[in-house]
Amino acid sequence: MDETRQRLTNCFQVVFPDLPQEAIATASTATVATWDSVAAITLMNVLEDEFGFEMDLDDLADLDSFEKLYSYLQKRLQVA
Amino acid sequence: MTITEALRITQSVPRDARPFAVTLACGFTPLHLQTFLAAHLQQALTDRKVTITSGLYGNLVGTLENISGAALPDGLVIALEWPDLDPRLDYRSAGSWSASAVNDIVVSPRSMLDRIAAALLRIQAGPRIALSLPTLPLPPLFHTPGWQASQHELALEASVMHFAADIAQERRIAVINSQRLAEQSPAAGRLDLKSDLYTGLPFTIEHADRLASQLAQALAPPAPKKGIISDLDDTLWSGIAGEVGPDAVTWDLESHAQLHGLYQKLLGSLADSGTLIGVASKNDPVVVNKAFERKDLLLRPEQVFPIEVHWNAKSGSVGRILEAWNIAADSVIFVDDSPMELAEVAAAHPGIECVLFPKNDYHAGLAMLRHLRDSCGKERVSRDDALRLDSIRQGAAFREQASGSAAPESFLEQISAVVTFDFAAASEPRVLELVNKTNQFNLNGGRYTQPDWQKLLSSPGAVLVAVSYEDKFGPLGTIAAVAGQADGKRLTIDTWVMSCRAFARRIEHQTLKMLFATTGAEEIEFRFTPTAKNGPLRDFFATLLGEEPQSEFRLTRSQFEAKCPALYHEVRQMRRAEAHG
Repeated sequence: MDETRQRLTNCFQVVFPDLPQEAIATASTATVATWDSVAAITLMNVLEDEFGFEMDLDDLADLDSFEKLYSYLQKRLQVA
Repeated sequence: MTITEALRITQSVPRDARPFAVTLACGFTPLHLQTFLAAHLQQALTDRKVTITSGLYGNLVGTLENISGAALPDGLVIALEWPDLDPRLDYRSAGSWSASAVNDIVVSPRSMLDRIAAALLRIQAGPRIALSLPTLPLPPLFHTPGWQASQHELALEASVMHFAADIAQERRIAVINSQRLAEQSPAAGRLDLKSDLYTGLPFTIEHADRLASQLAQALAPPAPKKGIISDLDDTLWSGIAGEVGPDAVTWDLESHAQLHGLYQKLLGSLADSGTLIGVASKNDPVVVNKAFERKDLLLRPEQVFPIEVHWNAKSGSVGRILEAWNIAADSVIFVDDSPMELAEVAAAHPGIECVLFPKNDYHAGLAMLRHLRDSCGKERVSRDDALRLDSIRQGAAFREQASGSAAPESFLEQISAVVTFDFAAASEPRVLELVNKTNQFNLNGGRYTQPDWQKLLSSPGAVLVAVSYEDKFGPLGTIAAVAGQADGKRLTIDTWVMSCRAFARRIEHQTLKMLFATTGAEEIEFRFTPTAKNGPLRDFFATLLGEEPQSEFRLTRSQFEAKCPALYHEVRQMRRAEAHG
C-alpha cells in the first residue's frame, strides 16, 4: 500500500471507527450507512488535518468514495 | 485542538464508562462544535463517557422547551447566535433588511429572549447549564457604516446583556465570558460564511474549538485551588524588609510597586471568598510583624493564617501550613519571586503548583493575577466560604488546647459543642459541594452531578442529613453530610463525607448515634469502597469494627454502642418534620 493510500485509510479509521479495516478500500456513500453529509464534512476536515491543505466544499459532493478521494489526493499532492 | 485530535479523544473512552449525557441547544448545524465540545468535556470528565445530543436545526428555543423532567441530561449547553433571536439575522435567510424590517428586528428578539429565559427557569432542579451569548458579528444590515455602532445594534446588544444579567443569577447557569472568548478567538476569525451557506455551521474550525473549550469549562469547571502560600519580600511587597526596614517596603503607584499592591488586593479578595492565604518567608519575625502592623497594607493581617517566618527551609514552612489547613499539596499554589525557592518547595511537596512572581514584567504580572483568579475563583460565595479561615484558626486553637490538656475527656466536655442535624438540606448547594470535594472522610469517593444527586435523593426512602457544628472556638459551618435509603429497620448509606476541619470532635460518632435513633435501624449497611485518600474514615471504622473494612459492610447498633465513646455535644435537629412530609 502506498503512503497516500495508507494515510487516507487512517483518516477513514478516525471518521468511521466502526468500519472494518477490509471494508475501507471499497467504502463509498452507498456502502457506509454513517457516511452522511455531516460525516463527509468531518472527513474533509480530517483530510485537511492530515495532508495540510484546504479542500473546497464545492468538491465534496463528487468525493463520495474511497477511490475518488484517493485520486483527488494524488492530484492535489502532485500539484503541491 | 484539531478535528482529528477531537475525534480520537472521544473514541478513546472505555465503552463501559458511566455516561455523561449533554444536550447541545443551538439553532445552527452543530457539526464541529459538537465534536469539539465532546472532546473538551471528555478531557474534563475522564471517568465518564460524554455523549452529546443536539436539538432541531433552527429551533433553539424548541429544544429547550422539549427538555422534560423525565429524561434530564447531565448537562445542557446553549450556543446562542443572532439568528436564534430573529431569523432575519441569519445569512441563510431571505428575510428583508429594509428599514422597516430593521426596526422590527430590534424589537422581536426581546420576546424570544423572554421565551428562552422561561424555558430555562422551567427546568427545575435540573442539569448544570453553560450558555454562550451571540459570538458572531451581526450582518451588515444597519444604516450606519461598520465603524459606527448603530442605535439598532446597540439596542440588540442591550437586550442580550439584560437577558444575560438576569439569567446569570440562577445558580445552575454559567454564562461564558465574552471578553475571555475574544482573547482566544478574535472576532475577525469566527465567521465562515461559505461553511454557513453550504453546511449550516457558521463557525470557522478555530472558533468552534475555542467556543467549545470555554463552554466545556463552564459546564465542567475544574475544582478551585483551596489555598495560596505567598512569600513576602519582592512578592507581597517590593523590597527586602530586613534590609530597608518594615516601613520602607512598598506596594504603591508612586514607588512603581503597584503590581505588589494589586497582588495584595487580589489575595484579599480571594480570602474574602474563602481561599486560604498563608505566608512562608525567610525573614526576621520581628520585622515582619512590624510590616504587618502597617495601616496601608491592602491585605488585612487577619486574612492570613498561618504566617511562617524564620530562616529555615520554605518547604518546612509549606508543610506546616498544609498541616494547619489540613489539605493536600495539589490544592495549593505557592508564589515566590525566587526560582530556587520554588524548586525547593516543588521537590518537597509533589503536586503543589509553584508560580513565579514576576517583579518587573507587568505583562507577566497581569497574567499571574488572572491565573490566580482563574485557579481559585468560585462561582458563588457561600456562608461556609466566609467561615473557613476563622474555623481553621479556631481549629488550631482547638488542637493546641486539646494537646495541652491533661484530660482530653474534660476538654471535650468543656468546649460547649453543638451538633446540628438538618434533615431537609437536599437543595443546599453546600451539601453537594462537600460531597464532591471531600477526600479523607469519604465513604467511597463517589462524585455526583446535580441530576445524579437529585435522582439519589428522590429515590424511595431516601435520607439526607447535613451536619453543622460549633463550639466555644466558633462555628465550623456545614461540615458533613450523610445520604442513603431507609427501608423499615434497614438503613443503607451510599454517601458519607465530613470535612477534615471537623476531625477529633466525635461528630462522626454523634452522626451514627443520630442515624440509629432517628431511623430505628438495628443495622446500617455502608456502601464503602477504599480509596487512596479515605484512610481517616477507614481508621474510624476500625475503632468500631476491630479492623479496617475492605468493602461494603454492616454495622449493628450493639457494635456501635459497645465502642462509642462519651459524647458531650448538645444536639439540635432541624426540619425533620419537613423532610418526612
